[in-house]
Amino acid sequence: MQSGLMNTYQQPASNRSWVAWLLSALLFFAYILLYFGPIPALGLRFDLLQRAAEAAGAALGLPAVLHSKWVLYGTVYTLAMILGGAFVLRRHGNSPYQRIRTVSVVGVQVVFAFLLPIVLQVLGRKEYYFSYFWPLKIEYFYPSVILQQPFLIVFWSFLGSLVVFPLLAFFLGKRFYCSWVCGCGGLANTIGEPFRHHSSKSARAWSIEKVSIHTVLFLALVATAIVWINWAVGRQHPEFASFAFKVQEGYGFAIGAMFAGVLGVGLYPLMGTRVWCRFGCPMAALLGLVQKLGRFRITVKNDMCIACGNCSTYCEMGIDVRQYAMANQTFTRAACVGCGMCAHVCPRGVLKLENQPIRWKAGQPIRVHAVDL
Amino acid sequence: MHYVILGNGVAGMEAALALRARDDGAPITLVSAEHDHFFSRPALMYVFAGQTSLRDTEPYDRGLYGRMRFERVSGRVASLDAAGHALVFEDGSRLAYERLLLAVGSRARPAPWPGAEGAGLHYFVTLRDLEALDHEAKKGMRAAVLGGGLIGVEVAEVLHDRGLHVTFVIREGWYFPVALDRNEASLVAEHLRAQALDVRLGAGVDAVLRRDDGRVRGVRLAGGEEVVADLVVSTIGVVPNTGFLAGSALTLAKSGAIETDEALRTSAPDVWAAGDCANVTWLDGSRRPEQLWYTARDQGRLAARSMLGDEIAYRRGTWYNSAKFFDLEYTAAGYVPVSVGPEGNPIVPPPDLRTWFQRVPGRFESQRIVVKGDRVVGFNMLGSRWNHEPLLDWIHERRPLAWVLEHLGEAQFDEELSPRFRVLAREEAVS
Repeated sequence: MQSGLMNTYQQPASNRSWVAWLLSALLFFAYILLYFGPIPALGLRFDLLQRAAEAAGAALGLPAVLHSKWVLYGTVYTLAMILGGAFVLRRHGNSPYQRIRTVSVVGVQVVFAFLLPIVLQVLGRKEYYFSYFWPLKIEYFYPSVILQQPFLIVFWSFLGSLVVFPLLAFFLGKRFYCSWVCGCGGLANTIGEPFRHHSSKSARAWSIEKVSIHTVLFLALVATAIVWINWAVGRQHPEFASFAFKVQEGYGFAIGAMFAGVLGVGLYPLMGTRVWCRFGCPMAALLGLVQKLGRFRITVKNDMCIACGNCSTYCEMGIDVRQYAMANQTFTRAACVGCGMCAHVCPRGVLKLENQPIRWKAGQPIRVHAVDL
Repeated sequence: MHYVILGNGVAGMEAALALRARDDGAPITLVSAEHDHFFSRPALMYVFAGQTSLRDTEPYDRGLYGRMRFERVSGRVASLDAAGHALVFEDGSRLAYERLLLAVGSRARPAPWPGAEGAGLHYFVTLRDLEALDHEAKKGMRAAVLGGGLIGVEVAEVLHDRGLHVTFVIREGWYFPVALDRNEASLVAEHLRAQALDVRLGAGVDAVLRRDDGRVRGVRLAGGEEVVADLVVSTIGVVPNTGFLAGSALTLAKSGAIETDEALRTSAPDVWAAGDCANVTWLDGSRRPEQLWYTARDQGRLAARSMLGDEIAYRRGTWYNSAKFFDLEYTAAGYVPVSVGPEGNPIVPPPDLRTWFQRVPGRFESQRIVVKGDRVVGFNMLGSRWNHEPLLDWIHERRPLAWVLEHLGEAQFDEELSPRFRVLAREEAVS
């Protein structure tokens, strides 16, 4: 039940004005600096962010192992989520679902993707982000990680990727990864909140989404397989080894850096916050397929929709929820990350996220008969 | 067969879609003066606040008009030539029809008070109303919203959201008496006052006051008290938008609503009417228009079937409705007695009704169940979400109160992790 009104279209940053374009350009620039460091062609002769991280680390007297632009990035990212989380709690915190979900996604980021990796580094171990899993974090199934990390971390990784989150997706929906745990979704659902309405609701965007996200999933599976085959036979076949290296590098560049990072976040102010989650993330694709077979659904209350469009407008995944609501159609969409905002902003309480067995049959119009007083 | 539909609101659009679903080849023409594309009128408050854009409130993508081969004519109709089977536009041009649906909807009921005519007096029904108010309403101004209904509370909310100081002037003794009882209305009033709204109850309006230069300076209440206001919004209901039919052959009710039979046919051959502008028979036998989104939608679909030659009879089903008063969602299902009729006329409820009511402590939330004899006949729920469908099922299944109280939780529809419904008082609350 939404409390108060949002003035989204009256805010320059959220209505695709020049402020939004400028913001987008800055985000693009920051991510290009982060991933590609010095770019002599653009006149960037040194790694600006690395220099900044070193200066900041030295000034704060941090251990040398933390003088890295990735630690700086993790810090900024986590702070942005905390700040954005506070904003979401102020705006939507009257809803227990939104409140608990926001605390969860921010808490997981702080503990599992920020503090623990830093502790590992300070202890002289290789960093590990405990809230990210294959195939989103593709290298966590590469031999380089599996064979070098301690058993418990490998066990955690397999459990999350292959058991826990698929099972949760089947019974409760992929939301328990995508909008309760995942840091990509977490950034979208906190600091990205003012941009969620920019996701395209067109049928065309939906058909592009289906092709692109499953293509990335396919590429992720193929890349993982090739890297393992290379581990097994690469020494005997140097040509295959160099091919496998190119695949690994290519996937990392095109999908990991460009799609998930530069485009995924750079486009926040113009195309909404879930560009990566919707069109690219292989984890979302996999859990989406499981979700489609599972119990999670959005239940529609018959004949109560007033077609106002709040649900569709605020769907970050570009689902035109209103079409289902107007048609009395309870539905499950593979894309849905279960953020719950459609149900929250509906002024007539028409929508409800559910995973219980169906009690009241949906999809039939209300029988026309009167109370015989 | 050339179908012409005048008005592209929900009744007109649903009729057009229903016609196309059954008749693939017929030309269908949609005529509208307000906006080229069907939009959701109940969503106008969100457009005003900037929560959605006007485009967001269009329920169908714009490609639909092409896919459905709907001809669109934009223009204001001046009169209906029923004998000549044609609509006559303001510029004198004519549009011939073979079958016509009038789905022209409502406009704001004109403010009746002295001083109302002129700048600074607003309504909130059409896009034009919205634009005028949007242009004038600025943060820090004082606004008086006159009329304690659903549009009134929406206007109060959007003006309050914009940073105006709102006085909500309600003629009746409590808010929205055509649907809420005294307990529920006081809960709503408390909620509104908690948002720093100045709610005046039992406050009839005497006059709109203006300065020498004609600008609004406030309203004078019946008791003589003056409410200071830089702008006034009148939300005292809507009237059928049928002025252009005045000289036509169509039979109109005194209210201006178009008289229809149970197949939604008007008095003129090949002319039907649906939605806010159509006079229909209510469950209590009275003849009035049903000014609701849900019934306009249903009437539009049914009128289309009638136009296609089906034998239909429009019967309003068991009542259900929903609304939102600031943060409080409201669901009604079944028969809920009220003490005030739509024209402000007092109503004496049937004598053998009992009411079960509870207010959830510490929250703006209440449940009311109406009992007749040994069975439940109605629900009025405030501040939490309910699936009206099981509620209606239980009414039709003639369930007794004890059974309903035991199962009521199953019909709760709030977001996950919300507080669950509990029966706080089983017997004492029955009055």
